[in-house]
Amino acid sequence: MPIFKQVVMTFDKRFDTRTCRHSLNGENYVLHCHHFTTLYSQLAEDAKDFGGVKMLRETAEDSFYNTLKRYYADNNITNPTDKVRIAEEYYSCIGLGKISFASVGEVSGHVVLSRSHVDEGWIKKFGKREQPVNYITHGYVTAVFSLLNDQSVRSFTATEVKSIVAGAPESEIQVYKN
Amino acid sequence: MAINRKKIIADMSKVSVLCGSTGMIDAFGVLVNQLPTSFWNNFASKLTHSVSEELYPAAKTLLVNAGHECGYHTGYGIITSEEWKAVVGPMVEKQPEDILHGAFAVFSAWGWAKCEVVELVPGKKMVVRAYDYYESDIVRHGRAKHMSAYMLQGVCAAFMDLAYGGPYDPTGKTGLNTFECEQTKGIEVGDDYGEFVVTPVAK
Repeated sequence: MPIFKQVVMTFDKRFDTRTCRHSLNGENYVLHCHHFTTLYSQLAEDAKDFGGVKMLRETAEDSFYNTLKRYYADNNITNPTDKVRIAEEYYSCIGLGKISFASVGEVSGHVVLSRSHVDEGWIKKFGKREQPVNYITHGYVTAVFSLLNDQSVRSFTATEVKSIVAGAPESEIQVYKN
Repeated sequence: MAINRKKIIADMSKVSVLCGSTGMIDAFGVLVNQLPTSFWNNFASKLTHSVSEELYPAAKTLLVNAGHECGYHTGYGIITSEEWKAVVGPMVEKQPEDILHGAFAVFSAWGWAKCEVVELVPGKKMVVRAYDYYESDIVRHGRAKHMSAYMLQGVCAAFMDLAYGGPYDPTGKTGLNTFECEQTKGIEVGDDYGEFVVTPVAK
């Protein structure tokens, strides 16, 4: 009978007493609340003349692309199923919610969020709204798709078709190759 | 002073904020995330570099405001938390001054900035020095044009709001924005430390 080993992400959390900084797997991280995330998302929208939303998506994509790429390399994660599982675990570990990469292909895919820090934080602060607001996750999703397909960043586009912030039970994001 | 900064930092830095099976972190009365510091820095840096000098003050105000509201609501959650009651509570003798000193020790423990209150005139003025803070990391790319510890500026003002701005208001309609902060020194512009001066908003 085949033996399957399920890969789980390891979280090496440290605190540097000299600098008072926290790190996760060697990368500095910081705690912030939904007020902060919500206001940054709103700020991105307010900066529409400067491409604020695109900026937020791309900043997220770059950040998470680098984090996950480094993790995969450091831990010799090569199996696509393991990469997906780790991406889902990391998303939850950092408190962004619960994400499922339902289908991942070379040119398209489908992602589902059953919980979302950004959406639920927005509802807590401002209430529901029709338009999607989870630009950070759009960046996260395109980062993962790029990594899974051995592409560089800006290779995919994420379009949110259903949103928790609008009252849907889950958010759904369609992904297409550029 | 009764506040033992070293002990607070030692104890509170060990407090782990964990997500449940939902991937959501519900703590201190807010939803919490733990993202790479580079993410927040890069967005703030890109945004402020993309706007003109005329619009920079507006961008800065919004970035500081994000820190201000975060500091106000999360700060309140922290100083009323079980962790605070266990570690800092027994040290508090004089309110709200000891609460302020304790809050900045927790601030250091949780990685926002290694900082402390160096001057406090109750209700009138507070000066905070930050000796290491993630918002200064942009100095690795060269000295910044502007002092840019926006989150720190906001949180410093928020903590004074909590201490002297009246009862906590979850709507933020009162209390919040009683005080404002000016950053007078910054590691990101070449100083040895960041310095933040908080005073009441002129009426």
